Amino acid sequence: MWVRCVLALIGAALIAPATVHADDTLPSVLISRQLSEGEHLAVGDVIRLSASDNGSNVQSFRIAGIYEPTPDPARLGAVIREVQLHLPDLLGLTREPSAPSGSEYVQTINVALVDPNDADAFSRDVRARMPGIDAQPASGAAESTGPFIVLRRFHLAIAIVTIVASTVFLLALTIMLVDERRAAVGVLRLIGLPIRRILLQLFLEGLLIAVVGSVFGLALSLLSEGIINRFFQWRYDTTLVFVRVTPQVAAVCVAIAIPLGVSATVVASWALLRRNGLRLARR
Amino acid sequence: MNAMGFAWRSLVRQPARASLGVLGVAAVGALLFDMLLLSQGLVISMRDLLERTGFDLRVTATDALPGQGPLIPNAVERTQAISQLPSVHSAIALRFANAVVLAGAPRGVYTTFQGVAGTGAAHPWTILRGRDVTAGRPEIVINENTATRTRLDAGSRVMLRASCNGQEQALPPVPFTVSGIAQFPFDSPNGTTIATSLQMLAAACGGNETNEADVIMVASQERAGPAAAVSDVAKLLPDLHVLSNAEAVNRFERGGFTYFRQISTVLTAVTLSFAVLLITVLLTVSINQRLGEIAALRALGFSRWRVVADVFCESVLIVGGGGLLSLPVGALLAIGLDHILKRIPGIPADVHFFVFQPSALQIHLLLLSATAIVAALYPIRIVSRLPIAATLRDEVVG
Amino acid sequence: MSTTNGHIVEARNISRVFPMPAGAVTAVADVSLEIRRGDHIAIRGPSGCGKSTLLHMLGCVEAPTAGTLLFRGDDVTQLSDRQRSLLRLRQIGFVFQRFFLLPMLTAAENIELPQSEANVPKTERRQRTQELLEYVGLGARAAHRPSELSGGEMQRVAIARALANKPGLLLADEPTGELDRATGEQIASLLDRVNADGTALVIVTHDPALAERSTRILSMRDGRIESESTSA
Repeated sequence: MWVRCVLALIGAALIAPATVHADDTLPSVLISRQLSEGEHLAVGDVIRLSASDNGSNVQSFRIAGIYEPTPDPARLGAVIREVQLHLPDLLGLTREPSAPSGSEYVQTINVALVDPNDADAFSRDVRARMPGIDAQPASGAAESTGPFIVLRRFHLAIAIVTIVASTVFLLALTIMLVDERRAAVGVLRLIGLPIRRILLQLFLEGLLIAVVGSVFGLALSLLSEGIINRFFQWRYDTTLVFVRVTPQVAAVCVAIAIPLGVSATVVASWALLRRNGLRLARR
Repeated sequence: MNAMGFAWRSLVRQPARASLGVLGVAAVGALLFDMLLLSQGLVISMRDLLERTGFDLRVTATDALPGQGPLIPNAVERTQAISQLPSVHSAIALRFANAVVLAGAPRGVYTTFQGVAGTGAAHPWTILRGRDVTAGRPEIVINENTATRTRLDAGSRVMLRASCNGQEQALPPVPFTVSGIAQFPFDSPNGTTIATSLQMLAAACGGNETNEADVIMVASQERAGPAAAVSDVAKLLPDLHVLSNAEAVNRFERGGFTYFRQISTVLTAVTLSFAVLLITVLLTVSINQRLGEIAALRALGFSRWRVVADVFCESVLIVGGGGLLSLPVGALLAIGLDHILKRIPGIPADVHFFVFQPSALQIHLLLLSATAIVAALYPIRIVSRLPIAATLRDEVVG
Repeated sequence: MSTTNGHIVEARNISRVFPMPAGAVTAVADVSLEIRRGDHIAIRGPSGCGKSTLLHMLGCVEAPTAGTLLFRGDDVTQLSDRQRSLLRLRQIGFVFQRFFLLPMLTAAENIELPQSEANVPKTERRQRTQELLEYVGLGARAAHRPSELSGGEMQRVAIARALANKPGLLLADEPTGELDRATGEQIASLLDRVNADGTALVIVTHDPALAERSTRILSMRDGRIESESTSA
């Protein structure tokens, strides 16, 4: 079992590449890409690791491979210098000399179930049978992480302010657009078209503009999604995804934008149509 | 009538449109202001907090942050040696652990547990009630949250079970007396914290590692300054890592804080683009509806620069009015957003994400001024290049 | 500025050609005329004959593409845009078919506007404005906005505005075009009075009755002055 090793913080200072030689008796490790690039290490190199800050109990390992660390938002900005060892090797490296073999412990055991839908039931079962052990479904763990719930609320607050500003903009635009048609609307009223008929016309126009605008907005968001992700992935040297326009997000945006656009047109038009046709037709 | 007066009359001629323009700028201006506050707010707040503790250097075993790396061995002797440097005013050794206070709830209350050692130095907490701990005596100070949840106060006796070095241990509970209620500067709003002397913490942790600390905190002499103290400590203890407050803040900036600067940059760009677009569209449509009047004014003798000035003044009025309104709106919004972000676990209660700085106001005004100018460019181009005769003809035909 | 034989405007073989995608259009071709102090000139002709274009050139709104145009002896084609604007502000008044009053200003403010632009002191321009309003018969309507005035009243305010800086030349492009006959008659009488008080007047009009009130009638066709007649 590969176990993440927190030696990186200590051991990275003590890693020293030795002469590359094919030594099949040495235990193998994987190192993160960032560690490989930072210390100029390659597959086949032999490194020495120690778990203590005075460099005691040094052991040699051969680099069997270089991996890309799983992106972790909690470690954004950090340079991931990691080494992954076989568990027995890690325990051998970190065991106190006086501690008897077999008394070690691990922090976490990751379990892959035959049926992932059994995660909740399995977790409850483990907790019931083994007091002192906490078992949680992996999907729930992400949602329960406090900082990201807070950030989601923060982004929602920003989104609300943006929607308010957009609504104001939209109203201003629709008032101007409708005002430009004032003379034409006035003439239609004068020749006898009822308000409802004209309002329907304006409603359909507003709907068309709102739909086209929403499609354009979605296209723009997909484009900017790519640009933002690429920029921040380069900036932070990570494969983390920062922006994701999911079908649900797109649906919510369209569900807000279209009614807003149509409502703004109707509100702007209604204020105009209440005026006398003759006044509208006069310049 | 000068250009500004003329612009004002042009705007109030269409009150709904002008009001919406001002409100739109106010909304985006508020967001812009907040993003400017956010871009440096956390850094400034953290810097203030670090400086308020009274210590301007932190010494650790490695470059890991205090509490995240290995312990400093021989911490007490090293603290004493540091405190005797001429550029150092005082030094304390600090160790972090966890504890369960066996009071207030059936399974006790889980708290962070600090141990401090140092000669003649103030402790990194403020006593609110009671008195501070005395070295060598089994006494603790607790924060208000702990006091509330455990229903303890100064003078109470309590048992607590320590947990040290992140290891799973079955340590026996140890008796302590609560000497006072204290405020810890880095406490989160719901955090529970207790503290004692380093010696008593080590005893609670099983009696081993009595002379180890996570960090040595150092206050430099005022006349020497932190830079001199950093240099002296580094020379004295070359195997340890010394970090001044400024360097610590730099690390925060490069680390997790950078997210907020990035998001503030992105949102600043978005809000400015939005404002420019809004004003440009408003002015352009307004001018297109008045081309005949503008051509007539030019025919009557108004110079090109005069009509350009009229348009520019309209932009200034909309952006200026919206900008002024954006400040109180932005202030209220900042309070709300700060309240949301402070709920991130582990954020100290005294740290804020949105901090007012005069420079933010200056940049805000500068950006809005640029917005007024840029937004007016296209409409100005229209009026400055308006063909007078052709426009007059079109108006008659139209 | 110098005068040349008492001429306010002297046009020598002026032309105006508009380049169009489908081919250049000659709106005015090789026109020569003089406007003297006190002249009352009507320019008439069918639609598209170049009347308005000629008027715009005489008023320095549009520059001729060929020929020479002198205003009080100075060649206006050599002037900068700023200088031409000043010329129009102080020396020429314009009256338009569509009035083009600023709707957000009162009648008095519309008349004050060109004076303010010409840096006339406030007291003086207020006095002048009131005089002009009385002159056009709207002394009691100073505080009314254009939307509160009839078509004829708006055109009277426009005439007052055109006279604000005491120009020597008043140009009117179809001043009665949007008015009924009776109101048009009132405007025509007002313009006669303006001319009688010393301001040279050039009117572009379709209306034969309005044209007959002028001392000189220029008939245009296809961009050229076909004939000139004088009325008794």
